[in-house]
Amino acid sequence: MFERVRNWFKERINMDDLPFFRTPDYMYHVGDWLGALVAGAFFYTVISGLILLLYYNPEAGYQATQTVINQVPYGSVVLYSHLYGAYAMIILAYVHMFRNYFVGAYKKPRELVWILGVLMLALTLGTSFLGYSLIGDVLATSAVDVGAGILSGIGLGSLVPIFFGNYSAGDYSRVLALHIILVALIGLLFVVHFFLADIQYGMMPSRKVKDKAPAVYPKAQWSKFNPWWPRNFIYMMSLIFMTWGFILIIPDLLVYVNGLPQIANPFLNPKPAPPPNSPAAASVTTYPPWFFLFLYKIADFPASLTIDIVIGVFIPLIYLLIVPFIDRSDELHPLKRKLFTWIGVVMMVFLIQTSLWGDLAPGVPVTWNEVFEAYLPPAVISAVGILLIPSNPRLNSKALANPFTMLGFVAITLLFVGSIFEVMSSPSVADVILVGLFGSLFVTLGKMLSPYVARTESGSVEKASLSADESRLAVKKNLAQVIMLILLVIAIIIAADMWSIPATGYYSNLFGVDLGLLFLIAGEEFSLYHYVVYKKPVEPEE
Amino acid sequence: MYLKKIARAFRIHKFDEKEFAKKGEDYLFNFINKNVGPVDEKRRRFLQGILIGVSAAVVAGIIPGLRVLVPPVQSVSGFPKTLIVDSSGNPIKASSIPVNSPTIMLFSYPLQNEINFLLNLGDKNGNPVEVPPTTVLVPQTGDKYQFPGGVGPNKSIVAYSAICQHLGCEPPYIHFYPPKYVNISQVTAPEPNTLTVEAVQAAQKENLPAIIHCDCHGSTFDPYHGAAVLTGPTVRPLPAVILEWDSSTDYLYAVGYVGVPVYPAGSNGVPSNDPSTDLDESQFGSSVGDKTSISESNPFS
Repeated sequence: MFERVRNWFKERINMDDLPFFRTPDYMYHVGDWLGALVAGAFFYTVISGLILLLYYNPEAGYQATQTVINQVPYGSVVLYSHLYGAYAMIILAYVHMFRNYFVGAYKKPRELVWILGVLMLALTLGTSFLGYSLIGDVLATSAVDVGAGILSGIGLGSLVPIFFGNYSAGDYSRVLALHIILVALIGLLFVVHFFLADIQYGMMPSRKVKDKAPAVYPKAQWSKFNPWWPRNFIYMMSLIFMTWGFILIIPDLLVYVNGLPQIANPFLNPKPAPPPNSPAAASVTTYPPWFFLFLYKIADFPASLTIDIVIGVFIPLIYLLIVPFIDRSDELHPLKRKLFTWIGVVMMVFLIQTSLWGDLAPGVPVTWNEVFEAYLPPAVISAVGILLIPSNPRLNSKALANPFTMLGFVAITLLFVGSIFEVMSSPSVADVILVGLFGSLFVTLGKMLSPYVARTESGSVEKASLSADESRLAVKKNLAQVIMLILLVIAIIIAADMWSIPATGYYSNLFGVDLGLLFLIAGEEFSLYHYVVYKKPVEPEE
Repeated sequence: MYLKKIARAFRIHKFDEKEFAKKGEDYLFNFINKNVGPVDEKRRRFLQGILIGVSAAVVAGIIPGLRVLVPPVQSVSGFPKTLIVDSSGNPIKASSIPVNSPTIMLFSYPLQNEINFLLNLGDKNGNPVEVPPTTVLVPQTGDKYQFPGGVGPNKSIVAYSAICQHLGCEPPYIHFYPPKYVNISQVTAPEPNTLTVEAVQAAQKENLPAIIHCDCHGSTFDPYHGAAVLTGPTVRPLPAVILEWDSSTDYLYAVGYVGVPVYPAGSNGVPSNDPSTDLDESQFGSSVGDKTSISESNPFS
């Protein structure tokens, strides 16, 4: 009976012939699936946002936020995870972008995929800013003030009513409408982005398979790989469930953390601040949402606002949009296009560095001297580092792995950790530079040493016979099966527990924690299933 | 188990070692896949069972969360006792409400969109007059109910629904006409201050200094007698808010309603014995809570 139903659906849906990219065995690693993580966060945020739309009242933004948090059943779970879903989407989008930047995924034939992706990042940041404004607390209103101030400061004051409408009069309906319109736009671009990336060109082959652009599998070879159903589906489910799990667990645990230091607030405090017209608002240090801290700091630079915005927004954005047309070589290895790798590293470091600086010293004007002090060292260090690493790094790292360098690495690690604490206790520009310096040294050395160190442990395996590999894998798979059973039992207990959590009040956020755990377990179950059923002892990069 | 199967397969089917040496791993893979199957079917079914189980657990966990879709409707079980405050939040003092004021003073009660007039009634010369309790007739049904009369230091303060019982018009179309506007010259005044000839005649006949009149269709109500019907087309009087005056603080509280329910719920013309009928009309929003503020506007200026 079950079999007949199954076949009925199979015949009608015909999942075997879906036109999605057929995936070779070696590509089931998260690095090749970062886009799926971004999409997972996007879908979560859309779903939770639609639930919030049922309750939000743009004519009484702050009051509506409070009603959602305090009165709507599990409203705070939905609201806080909506916020952190957006956070996750931004972070994952950056990771996805930089990964594809360094592997050269913007090169022929994927230029359009890349450009669409950059546009989607800009839209995501804009949408998130509008969403943040909808809270209506003192932070949101001051962020809108700053945003409107920046627009008028660079001569685009006529755009303020277009973006914010009657925001200052307490009517957020336009911001809400634009928030939703931009999300719809992201969704639309996503469809094209996905269609081009997955169906037109397929995923990028490993560099070992193809180290020159255009890096695409010929259709004939492609058609031999694993079809989308069911393996890709299983793997995708594991990734999406895990993403959703983290999106729910993190904010719902953070709710119970009180008395965070001010510098942690932009990142770790999901709760809204007091309303702008309350006496408590006067004592609040205002800061923008963390993903715009970098811009906030750049606005402190001694140049005019227009130049600041050109530095902070237009140069990076335009660079990212046109990089496929500047970097025209067909080399994909990051060390064979050192200039662009360096620019990428510098962008990444500057982004993090400026954001942290904005967090530590928001709105404090800086001099050009301080700017150069802060930004030159990382740029020089990474330039020297990239120049010194030869294009064939394997020899180098092996030579490096002697007791002295190890000792040096340990020392740098300690210095790095120490400098972080130093910054925590007494923030100053010099300390931030130190963190950047030791941090980049730590990462560079760590990256160079880790393959060698990791190999000393598993070195013997390479020579072991295939059947030994096979038996090891079989043991692991049996273990995975046992874990799956245990996790199922835990999942059932958690699911039962969720029925007893109150819908509102202090304990209601535990529901979010439990649901997140459930998602994590489900993700892990799918992942283990994928491992047991599909994992092969050797998965050559073909 | 899987290993045993492989071992058996090695025994049963000939494993060509020469071939293996030549083709390497690929040969072994094909061999195993051909003769043993990737992972045997029974095990796969079992694992799929676990996946279905865990998915069911996720669904079971989400079910109580679906309560997020149930809006937190405030069911108002009884009339709240609501303090009337001015627009900046300070309680209204009963003795400082202007007599026969042309300004429309509105407050919401018991729900957020149920607006009511607050009136301090006086005679032609602007001296407050006592509004005695009366029996009010509903012409539509012939039913009667008791209006409790005015409150305050002079028992001259009353409050009536500001939503016309005829077809639901709201201020400024319906409002209070102080004595100086109740005369025949007002018949030619522009909207929303036009009186009908019938209204003026009815007021003069009953010797009423002031009236409540709706400009939409010409209904007129008698504020001195529980907003009873003076002229049609309305067939129902305006319902009245029961006020309470605290003589020690001079504050005013709204505590209930009498008469037919607020338009349109009262269109059957039956005065509500269960006054909470007024509280069931979700179109008027949620309860005002323990404070309601006055908004003012002057139709004559």
